[in-house]
This record gives sequence, structure tokens and C-alpha cells, in this order.
Amino acid sequence: MKKIVIGLCLVLLGVFFIGCDGGTSDRVIIDFWHMSPVGSESFSATKQIINEFNESQELYTVKGTGFGFWDYWDKIAVAISSKTAPDIGFSTIDDVPIRAEAGVLYNISDLIDADPDGIDIEELYQSQLDFATYEGDLYALPFTATTRVLYYNLDMFAEVGLTEADVPTTWEELHTVAKQLDVDEDGVIQQLGFDPTYGNATYHGYLWQCGLDFFDDDLNPTLNTQKHIDVLQWMIDFNSEYTRNQLVAFGDANAMLGINVFAGERVAMIVEVDGLYQIIQNAGATFNYGVTSIPLPDEDGVRVNWGSGFSVELYDNRKNEEDQKAGAWEFLKYLMSKEVQKEFSTANGWLMAHQEAMEEVAEGNTIMTRLLEEVAYARDKRYVAYAPSWHGNDWQPYYNQALNRELTAEQALAAARANYLQKKENWEATH
Amino acid sequence: MKTSSVTKLKKQENYIGYLFASPWLIGLIVLGIFPIFMSLYFSFTNYNMISAPTWVGFTNYRILFTNDDLFWKSLGNTVYHVMIAVPLGIIVGIALALLLNSKVKGMSIYRTMFYLPNVVSVVAMTLLWLWLFQPNFGLINQLLSPFYKLFNLEPLGWYLDQNMSKMTLILMGLWTAGGSMVIYLAQMQDIPVTLYESAEIDGAGWFKKTIHITLPLMTPSIFFNFIMGLIGSFQVFTIAYIMTNGGPSRSTYYYAYYLFDKMMNDNAMGMASAMAWILLVMVLIVTIVALRLNKFVFYLGEET
Amino acid sequence: MEATVVKIKYKSRKRRRLITAIILHIVLIACSFVFVFPFLWMLFTALKTPAELLQGIQVFFPQTPQWGNFLLAMQRIPFFLYLKNSLIVVVLVVIGTVFSATTAAYAFAKLRWKGRDKWFIVMLATMMLPIQVILIPTYVMYNWVGWLGTRLPLIVPAFFGGGAAFYIFLTRQFFLGVPKELTESAIIDGANHFQIFIKIMLPLSKPAITTVALFTFMGAWNDYFGPLIFLSNPDHWTLALGLRSFQTQYGGQYNLMMAASILIMLPTLIMFFFAQKTFIEGIKFTGIKG
Repeated sequence: MKKIVIGLCLVLLGVFFIGCDGGTSDRVIIDFWHMSPVGSESFSATKQIINEFNESQELYTVKGTGFGFWDYWDKIAVAISSKTAPDIGFSTIDDVPIRAEAGVLYNISDLIDADPDGIDIEELYQSQLDFATYEGDLYALPFTATTRVLYYNLDMFAEVGLTEADVPTTWEELHTVAKQLDVDEDGVIQQLGFDPTYGNATYHGYLWQCGLDFFDDDLNPTLNTQKHIDVLQWMIDFNSEYTRNQLVAFGDANAMLGINVFAGERVAMIVEVDGLYQIIQNAGATFNYGVTSIPLPDEDGVRVNWGSGFSVELYDNRKNEEDQKAGAWEFLKYLMSKEVQKEFSTANGWLMAHQEAMEEVAEGNTIMTRLLEEVAYARDKRYVAYAPSWHGNDWQPYYNQALNRELTAEQALAAARANYLQKKENWEATH
Repeated sequence: MKTSSVTKLKKQENYIGYLFASPWLIGLIVLGIFPIFMSLYFSFTNYNMISAPTWVGFTNYRILFTNDDLFWKSLGNTVYHVMIAVPLGIIVGIALALLLNSKVKGMSIYRTMFYLPNVVSVVAMTLLWLWLFQPNFGLINQLLSPFYKLFNLEPLGWYLDQNMSKMTLILMGLWTAGGSMVIYLAQMQDIPVTLYESAEIDGAGWFKKTIHITLPLMTPSIFFNFIMGLIGSFQVFTIAYIMTNGGPSRSTYYYAYYLFDKMMNDNAMGMASAMAWILLVMVLIVTIVALRLNKFVFYLGEET
Repeated sequence: MEATVVKIKYKSRKRRRLITAIILHIVLIACSFVFVFPFLWMLFTALKTPAELLQGIQVFFPQTPQWGNFLLAMQRIPFFLYLKNSLIVVVLVVIGTVFSATTAAYAFAKLRWKGRDKWFIVMLATMMLPIQVILIPTYVMYNWVGWLGTRLPLIVPAFFGGGAAFYIFLTRQFFLGVPKELTESAIIDGANHFQIFIKIMLPLSKPAITTVALFTFMGAWNDYFGPLIFLSNPDHWTLALGLRSFQTQYGGQYNLMMAASILIMLPTLIMFFFAQKTFIEGIKFTGIKG
């Protein structure tokens, strides 16, 4: 027993020492968290980018730590709330104001004022900058941009005698073309032309195209007009030649596919984010396809798509770390420079916020060029404090009930609206 | 004279009891108390995990009880789940353990295979469930189709039917009954062989031996799995998260799911903490009631 | 005459046993298929080429198994460094948990002390609070004591019953099954409680302790969330966390992901295979009552 206890103590002691590592240098260490962990395809490129910065000057050493894309968010959320955030890192751009309000971010406008030539602000999208602004000042910079477009499979088009000239531009054309591309055998759907609920299409995206929204300017839920009902009804009825069962069977079979339905050549057209281009490329798919803007409801429709992006932020852990702040600013300027933006785009397949950099990356690549064109029409969702997940968690159950015909479009919208109202009331009671 | 030595012995045992419990007790007091009481404090605040918490008194609790439809809906779903999943889990676990306790060649391999679902990736499990339960092409409905035809029935909708979805998830959860099976198996090894031998001399068969020896002597682990099943089932979440997203029609939206949403999607840590403490009190009451069943448990080492 | 009857009886019993065994095997094999299916899917997916992945489950079997995927998954990360880290954490957590669970279980099962039953309820209650709501304060606490960036937050709690309530309760149930006569006679022989604990309780509860060790091993081995949140230096990362690098933003590398998952689960399966053997071979003491 004694031996065991002594052994345990020794092991524990050992662990203590493993935990501490030495190493000192005159350079200030800048902590930078990113989403390219060891083992990911973009790891070495990211490391290279950081090394180049470290070699370019003598004051700072940036220490980069990569976390997997799906883990990064938990990690940084816990770190921010406990004031142990890195000096510089990524986050989501639509909720920058809540962090700015909480005082965990350094004011970027102040840094720009002190160092006006540091960043090519005019190369960044104004809509994204607006999201990163709190009480008139910038508290983050847009790092990447995303967009949603219509992908179409030209091989499937060719099979039924359609060409790129037939790519739909309105909802009506979309329906006509889609119906020519449906394939079923013995009542089992093999291929769908299009389904408005597939991919990354959203109800609010279609609403925006019709000049509508979930909320009014004071963030009161709307949703109760006939127009709202009509848009949802259009989504529900798009493939109404098939029974609900047939559609669900097709959807579940697709879920077993383990890959995006468009990349797996199960649908001819889909509304998806720019990332699908990466998926198709990574998967080594060989079919011919193109991308274009999402078809409009009619001639009066608004050309808009839901796009978002990562922000890059400097975290203030309330320790008066002026050296770190200065170093993080230097590194931020480096990250936002044209060349580094280009390198990040190539390494991760991201569309970056720096417009000129992206134009150079996309040169000669028709799909990239089209994606970039659409970014200009991207709009982010609004941050609604009482329902931050208004488009996801709060809306999905009602949306699904409408799609499953458990509720009519009107009932689903009314129920969703009642839920938002209750959330709003409860939120106000605690604020 | 005698009584004083007994009290001395008792006093000594009191110290020794605390001494043996001390690693755990110290851990609870030093490492546990701060986080636990912080979460209790959060439940009386409005806390978005970024700004400092602001005190709101009992508002979170009041809202949950009086003005939150999802609170009651998710609680109802959870109670339904607990009432069915706990007994069913025990029955299946015992059945598996009895099946795998036989002395047959290759039993080690079978046991390992039956335990497999406890260690495979979630993605792989999801796929299995789709493959089995999908109403249109799933194996179960295909096997049942002659039966459906015979009685002219509609094929079951499983997880897509809001009246069956909770039941389907419970059935899916049984794939991981291998965990409790291990505990039963371990307990079965503690049953003295002599008991079986004397029963065999009396001419008892497998069934009789199971009813009169194995099951009564397994009650400590059945009781354990019952209590743990209660505590675990009240926190059911993952399976609904990956299979049904809480649907259809929020029929599988469980309490812990709602708590998770409050925290992750609404950034409402105060509200989530209040939910956690309500859950704690509820489960505690149920557990204390359930602990009374302890008197039906047969411990070989207990004085009669 | 008598001998023949015995012989016939013996024969028919043997035959009946054979039939039971066959039926049992059929049932077991049928069940096994359903239990093994997800694993088979993982294995076959791990062996696919990217092109085969694209075709989904229409191609269940890979045409030429890409065993290289396993090697690739191992080469993309510092596999042996992560393995070493995992072992450091897991071995210490198992030792710590077995230590804190058995001692506390002995107190709860075999000793009478003031407040024992109340503390027992408290112990059960610690399992009823969803851990997510105590994560941030726990993290803040480790930050105060300067443990962030070390492995201590993953290891030290195990020695103090952190997360061990389940195992304490389990071990207590088994300790209660150890006949009282054994401990009482040991006391009469002049043994103290430490001797009883080491020399009687632990050896007699081998299946229970094996179960505790097995479950703790699996829990610590598969845990990626603890290491993700509490470790800051990637050189301390464990396998479970490191192998998650293959789950990229755009998916796609399903084959590597599954190869990685299999690499992770293999040791636990091997552990299980050997652990459950002790359930058969474990010491079967003859009950004094029997």
C-alpha cells in the first residue's frame, strides 16, 4: 500500500513538471487561435503564414493554436467568458455587438485612428463592417465572407436536352425546369430537379427576396401577413406531385449518403453556400456544373442572399496588456493584408473579406468569380437579443411541422410568432 | 465497562468512516462547491456568459413556471421517456446478461460484439438506426410488411410519427444496453457457486435457478441500474439531438435539450441554470422515494 | 440395467444440451449482426477511396480496401505523441478513480458514521446537475489556481472522486454483497479496517473493480471535451481530441474520420475483451451462507 501511495505521489509530481515548460525570449508572445488544427489540410499553410510574420519582425512571436472547426466555438466561448481569451482570434460577425457591449473586445477604430494606413478598409464590404460596428466604432474586422447561390448540374441538364441558357432566373422558370429533371422509378424518387427546402436555403432568404422579413425595425415579429403565408406555401407545394412519404424517403436516403445531395448527384439544382464548391472539389466529383444567383420570385424581386462570415477580433482580458495589444494589432494588419488574405483563401477554401485579394484569387476561375459577384448581394441576419437563434432553433420546429403538413402554413407562422412574442416578453422581464 | 468500549468502538468507526470517505469528501468540498454554488447563483441572474451576471431574483424561476410553454412540454416528454425507458432498459439489460452468461464457446466474442454499439461513433449509430427504422425502406418495416398487409394496417412511422417518436428513441437507446449488461454480468460472478450446486441437487432447472437464485442476488445491481437509469433518463438529450432534432412537432424535445438550447442558442445561462436546479430538485425527490426500494434489495452481506 | 438407464439419461441430456447450444448460437448470431452493423459500416467506410465515398451506401463494400487510410490518419497527426498523452491521462484517471471510488464505497457500505446516509444522497445529487452549467465556474476556478495549460484539471479530480459518483455507488453495491461474516471474523482476528479493505474487500470485488476500471478507461479515453476545454498546449492533446481534426468544416473526409474513429475504439474493445474474461475467471468465493 505504501509503495502504491509513494508511486502515485511521484507520478503526480511528474505531471506537475510536465505541465510547466520553460523557454524565455525578449519577444512578446501573441496568442492566436484559428481553425486549422494539426492534422487538418490547412494546417501547414496556416503555420507558414504565422512563421512568415514571426520572421518579418523582431518584437513579437505569434503562437498559433488550431482547433477543429466544430470545436473552436466551445473553446473560445469558455475562454472569453473566463477572461482567458487569446490576444487575437476568430468569431462570428453578426454578434460582434454583444461582445463589444460586454467590453471584451478592443476598439479597432481607435487603433485605426492611431495607425491610419494599417488596413485597407475600403477593400472590405460595407455591409460586413456595419455588423462589426457598435456605437459608431469598429470592434472587429470581417475576415471571411459567405454567400448563397444556386448550383446546377449541367450533365443532368444535358440528359433532358437543357443547356446553360435554360438556367432559371425566376421562381416560375425554376419550377418548370425542375419538373423536367425529376426522375422516379416505381414511385421511388431517384432524382429531384429542385426542392426549395434542400441545401442551405432558408425561409427567411426567400422572404428577403420578396422584400419581407421575420421582424420589423423594432424587432417585433411580423410573419402574420398573407405574403408570408404565400412564400411558405410555395416552399411546401414545390414538389407536391409527390407524397410526403416519397419525399421523406428520398430525404432519408440522402441522409444515409453521407455527402451533400448535390455533390452526390441526387438533385439537379440546389441553393447552397460557397462551401459546397469546396466539398465538390475535395470529393473529386467529375460532373459539370455551374453557379448563379438564386432565382427571384418575379421581376420585382430583390436580389439578395443570406451571407455571413467570420470576424477577426482582439480580445481584452482586462489585464492591461498593452504590449500584447500592440502585437495583436500588428498581426491583425498582417492578416488583413492582401497577400495573407490570398493565402488564407487558398489554404481553407474560404471567400475572404478583402475584395481585391479575392478578385486575384478568382481570376480565371468562373465558379469563384460568380460566387464573388454574389457576395456583393449578401446580407447577414440580424442579431435579435431575445431570440439569437430565431432563424434556427426557434423557427425550425414550426417550419418542419408545416413541411410535414401537421400544421398549415398559416398555423405554423402564427405559432412561431406566438413563440417569439413569449420569448420577447420573458426577455424583457429579465432586462 | 462494556458499553463504554462499544461507544469507543462506534466513535472510532465514525472517524474511520470519514477517513475512508475523505478523498471524495475533500474533492466535493474543495473542487465541487464553488462551481455548484456559482451555478445556483447564476440561476438568480441574467447571464449571457460574456457580460457580468445581473441579479434578477426569482424571475427566471417565475418565468419558467408561469410563462414558458416549452418548459412544460419538454418536462412532459421527459417524464414519459423516464417512465418507459427505465424499466425497459433494466429488462433488456438483464435479458442480455442472462443470455451472455451461458457457458458456450465463443462467449467472449459475443459479449464484445454486443458491447460494440457503446463504443462506435455516433455517425455510425445514426446510420444503423436509419437503416432499421426508416419507415419507407428501413429493415423493420420491410420485415413487418406481410404483417401490415395481413391486418390491413398502415406501416408504422417510427421516429417520423409524433405519437411513436419517443418510443422509437427509447428502442434505439436499447442498443447501448451493453453498458448495464456488463454490470449485471459482473454481479452474476459474485453469486456463490454452491448455491447453484445445491439447487441442482434439488433438481432445479435453468428457469428455476434464474428465478430463485440469480435474480434475487442480482437485485443490488438492478437497484443500481434503476437509480442510475432514473438520473440518466431525466437528462436524456443526445439521441434526440442527433436523430430527430426534438421533432416531429417537438414530441422528442426533452428537458435537457431545452436546457441546452437556452444555454447555447439563447445565451441565457441564468435561465439554463435555473432549469438545471429545478431538474436537480425533481430528480432528487424521485430518487429519495426510489431509495426506499432498497429494502427489497437482497445484499449477501447485510444483516437480516 | 441401472447403468443403461443412467447412460440413456446421460445421452439424452447431452443431446438436449447440444440443441440448446445450437439454438443459443443462432439467437446470438442473429443479434450480433444488428449490434455489429454500425462497426462494419465504419470499417468499410474507412477502407473506401474518396470516389467510392461519393457513391454513398450504394457501394457498401470498398472495391480495393484502402488499408493505407489508417496509415494516413496516423501520419497526419503526431499519433504517438497523442497516444502518450492519452495514456498519461487515462492511466492516472483510472488509478485515481479506482482509489477514490473504492475508499468511499467502503465507507458507504461497511462503516457506520454520522451523516453517512445524508452524504450518500449528496453524492447521488452530484450526478443530477447537468455538467454544462458548472463548466464555466469550474474553468474559472482552475484558472485561479493556475492549472490551465497543464493536465492537472483532467487528472487531479479523479483522485478526489470527481465524476466518480457513478463508480462509488456501483462499488458500494458490490461491497454490500461481501458477507458480513468475513469482515467480522477478520475484526475478531484483530485486523483493522485498512487491512480488511485491502486484504478482503478489494480481492473479493475483482469483477466490480474491473468494471469500474473498464468504464473509467473508456470514459477518459474517449473524452475529447475535457482536453479541448482545459488543455491549451497542442503538445498535450490526447488522441480523442487530436483525431477530431479530420472532422473539417466541409466534411468530406469520411474515410479518414472513420479510420480515426476505429483507431480510437480499438484499444477500448481489446480492453473490454480481456476485462470481461475476468468475469468468468474471477475468483468465485464460496458464500459462507451457502
